[in-house]
Amino acid sequence: MTQTQSPKSLALLNSKAPFASCAGKDALDIALVFASFEQPTTLFFQGDGVYQLIQGQNGELISVKDYLKTFSAFEFYDIEEIYVCQASLIERGLSSDFHIDNVQVLNQQEFANKLATHNTILRF
Amino acid sequence: MNTLHIVRQSAFATNDFTQCIQVLNAADLIVFTDDGCYNLTHQSIKQVSEQVKLMVITEHVNARAIDIVGTKATAITMNDLVALTFQTDRVITWQ
Repeated sequence: MTQTQSPKSLALLNSKAPFASCAGKDALDIALVFASFEQPTTLFFQGDGVYQLIQGQNGELISVKDYLKTFSAFEFYDIEEIYVCQASLIERGLSSDFHIDNVQVLNQQEFANKLATHNTILRF
Repeated sequence: MNTLHIVRQSAFATNDFTQCIQVLNAADLIVFTDDGCYNLTHQSIKQVSEQVKLMVITEHVNARAIDIVGTKATAITMNDLVALTFQTDRVITWQ
């Protein structure tokens, strides 16, 4: 089998805080499915989505299954591109202290440019 | 290389449109559908309309009695929207 084209790249744009809705969990599931099939997958965090990355969260205290712990598996799944919107962090008074490594903080223009390099964008 | 932004939420209710504005590039297009039509009356629309091309679904603005005269938006049909998804490189739905 010959493959003439490189696979299409997928961007998952996270915009919701982690526990009140299942948006973040859904995005994670899709990321892991695509990565399992070796499709290039990039994660973006914007707006309240940045709350998914901050240190010290524990969903079990409010009886929510803590899917954030699974973020540490990204490296194993070869999901290496993880980008955060700097303006969203500043707006919420958050530091770049994340519960996973390999996260890159981008300014507004860099974030927009990076997003526009992907073939498909799904927003959660 | 351009992106079609489909905005379905009112900026008076959610941050979705604000986040859309943050990632706009010059060649992009915005189509307002559903409550996104209310963004035509939001204060942020003036600057955005100078940056990119704006469109609205005819039925969606008419149903909400939003007057697009005086705005820079063009009214389109659902078929036009489908055609746009093929003409642009990628689509982001802000919902």
